[in-house]
Amino acid sequence: MKEAGEAILLLSLLFFMPHAEGTRYSLPGKPALTRCRSPEKETFTCWWEPGSDGGLPTTYALYYRKENSEAVYECPDYHTAGQNSCFFNKNDTSIWVNYNITVVATNALGSTFSDPVDIDVVYIVKPNPPEKVAVTVMEDKGWPFLRVSWEPPHKADTRSGWITLIYELRVKLEGENEWEMHLAGQQKMFNVFSLRSGGRYLIQVRCKPDHGFWSEWSSTSYIKVPDYFHREKSVWVLVTVFSAFIFLIFTWCIHINGHSLKDCILPPVPGPKIRGFDKQLLKNGKSEDIFSALVVSDFPPTNSSNYEDLLVEYLEVYIPEEQELIMEESKDLHDGCLKPKGSTYDSDSGRGSCDSHTLLMDKCGEAKEDERQTDQEGSQTGSEAQRQQAAWEQEALTYAHEDMISPDMSSGRVKTWPSVFSPLPQYSLSPLNQPSSLETAKQHCLSDSLFPPGSLSSYLTQPGQTTKEALGSSYWDFCSSNKQPHVLHPQLEARQHLQARSDVNISSIGHKEAPVGLQLPTVRSTEYVEVHRVNEEDMVLLHPVPSGHGHGKGCQGEDYSKVKGVDKNNVLLLQRNSMEEQVDACPCENRDTRGATEHCCSAQKSIPCIHIALPAQDEKAGNGYVDTATMFTLPTH
Amino acid sequence: MHIMAAIQRGVWALLLWPSLLTVSMPLDCKEEQGSLSGCTSISQEKLLDRVIHHAELIYRVSEESCSLFEEMFLPFPLRLQSSQAGYACITKALPMPSSKSEIQQISDKWLLHSVLMLVQSWIEPLVYLQTTMDRYDHAPDMLLNKTKWVSDKLISLEQGVVVLIKKMLDEGTLATTDSEQSLFQYDVQPEMLESVMRDYTLLSCFKKDAHKMETFLKLLKCRQTDNCP
Repeated sequence: MKEAGEAILLLSLLFFMPHAEGTRYSLPGKPALTRCRSPEKETFTCWWEPGSDGGLPTTYALYYRKENSEAVYECPDYHTAGQNSCFFNKNDTSIWVNYNITVVATNALGSTFSDPVDIDVVYIVKPNPPEKVAVTVMEDKGWPFLRVSWEPPHKADTRSGWITLIYELRVKLEGENEWEMHLAGQQKMFNVFSLRSGGRYLIQVRCKPDHGFWSEWSSTSYIKVPDYFHREKSVWVLVTVFSAFIFLIFTWCIHINGHSLKDCILPPVPGPKIRGFDKQLLKNGKSEDIFSALVVSDFPPTNSSNYEDLLVEYLEVYIPEEQELIMEESKDLHDGCLKPKGSTYDSDSGRGSCDSHTLLMDKCGEAKEDERQTDQEGSQTGSEAQRQQAAWEQEALTYAHEDMISPDMSSGRVKTWPSVFSPLPQYSLSPLNQPSSLETAKQHCLSDSLFPPGSLSSYLTQPGQTTKEALGSSYWDFCSSNKQPHVLHPQLEARQHLQARSDVNISSIGHKEAPVGLQLPTVRSTEYVEVHRVNEEDMVLLHPVPSGHGHGKGCQGEDYSKVKGVDKNNVLLLQRNSMEEQVDACPCENRDTRGATEHCCSAQKSIPCIHIALPAQDEKAGNGYVDTATMFTLPTH
Repeated sequence: MHIMAAIQRGVWALLLWPSLLTVSMPLDCKEEQGSLSGCTSISQEKLLDRVIHHAELIYRVSEESCSLFEEMFLPFPLRLQSSQAGYACITKALPMPSSKSEIQQISDKWLLHSVLMLVQSWIEPLVYLQTTMDRYDHAPDMLLNKTKWVSDKLISLEQGVVVLIKKMLDEGTLATTDSEQSLFQYDVQPEMLESVMRDYTLLSCFKKDAHKMETFLKLLKCRQTDNCP
């Protein structure tokens, strides 16, 4: 039958051939059997690849022959398995039997046989993918896992044991590239552990007969793992508790060691040092001096000294190192106006940045005119020195300004002088530019220093405080300038410190004994000065009060003033020292040397007046007393 | 030719039939466990599993041996013609089912006996195969070891099947094949190519028969457990 059909086909092709136009026809190309597969070891299918058709319609036929049999059969079913295929149903399939299969391509010109292929059905089994893949999330002690279950392909007869399948599944997270393979053996269920919380997983399963080919992967199953944060929450709770505990311990430690830590981080502003303790003396190695310096004449306060004296507020004056260098360069200049280099000061006295050293120098120069004026006036009232002195006691400070407040005379108490020293920094630059004026100013300042430092009972106010820095010298020289609120040069006796509450550095110009070691050409006797008035330009006009003292060699303790304070109008309030008797008793000059502050006349008669020669002229910077005498001598130069 | 085949078949039937009845081999605990005293008997399921395992292994090794042999000795053009070479499997005379439907119609007893037949018929040829392999100049040791291994395992498989038959079918012990006449005829000094072809056919036939054994046993197992899951 089929051969007849083929013959008819051939004839028809030959009939139509002459009508073709020059196209070259040929035998069909050689087909090739690509593969044969059996899904369940009961049927099988063979596919072939056709060759070139040679330009003519080509038909294909598959012929097979079983082993040990000569009979050739043609493919029973060309259609079930699709194009170019041959399907062998159950009746045509024999297992453990070799099939010899050949495909023939036929066209009008002829036929072409393919190469024969021997197959045995049992060796070409490739099952269908597993079916009904089900994935569920299950929990094992709080930890989730996936349970994957599936069914074998429905065609494969595993129930009777005809086919034994082994399975394999693969899992991957959505978005990743690599699959995680698991071999499941013959079981139809598998558990996947170690899941990521909240992840979405893809699962596929495939199977293979015990001897055969792997099937294709089943369709992907998706599953989303729920978040299992609750399991991790316990960890977070533990971490939080632990960290809180650590924090509490830490806080407690901080609290315990708060002070030392605070000291570490924020070093405290050092307070006043031991009064009367002179570091320089210590360095010099004279223990006698040290101890004597430590001894304060008025301690314990057995005298009738007012207790208010004990409550003096000291204003510490400090000269920074650089200033001292400058002072060394121009020795003459510095003597009067400047305090000896920091020897009299403690390094940690907490002084402010105000550099009264240069300020004073500058002020000295600028205040010459003022000084002259006052000097003249002072000469007139020089005779009234005594009266003035007495008056000072009551007046404390003389005020030219009606706004002045009478300070407490009892002690050279000076309140803070913030306004006084505010302009100080501005003078830092000027002094170098006016060396000449400074010289004169210095001299003037120095001359004033001849005044009785002996009457340095101002120290007494704070017994024991005989430190060098203490402006102990109690002399101050403020060279006021007309540009700024003037600073008086009160003649503080002894060491009267005005210890500014605010951190103001005042370089005290104090210095003590003018004559000794001083190279001031014109050293006048120290003069008392009283504030005449304050003019409209905020200039404090000093009224010189002739002290009657000669060269300031001896201790002079009567006429001096101590700065009481500064009122709100930037007026320097001077106060006469009330400790006269003590001053007189010990006519010593209070001089500030490099490192030794003598408190003679500090209510201790036993204290000898030691005129410590100033080793360097430049050291003679004032002892911290306001020496207006120097200023008065300015015009003479 | 046909007469010879018929005679062979007759001989087969005659030989195999009595083997079912004769008791030639004591198959008791001693045989199985190798110990002389106080052996524990094995359960039927376990024995069956063990037998199946044996059969699986034998098949796998034979498959490897066949492919090895094919690579080593068989020129490529001849591979496709192996089935047409005229060397039929020696066991082709044995009546074997060739389709699933046929097999499902076979009883358990017949399955077991078929397995036994197959096993017993292959013991001898495998021994022969070993001798011929040694004659080859460059036979790989792996091939030789495998064939040796297979032949040893086949013997133990035979023993197991016999015991299984005894247990499952409650039949008497069966005789081994050592006393039977070998059906395998071979030339003493074959030519090289013929030898190769024959050996190759031998290996492939054995591979197929091993698969048959395995399939029968698995079917038997699933029948016993009332349908495998």
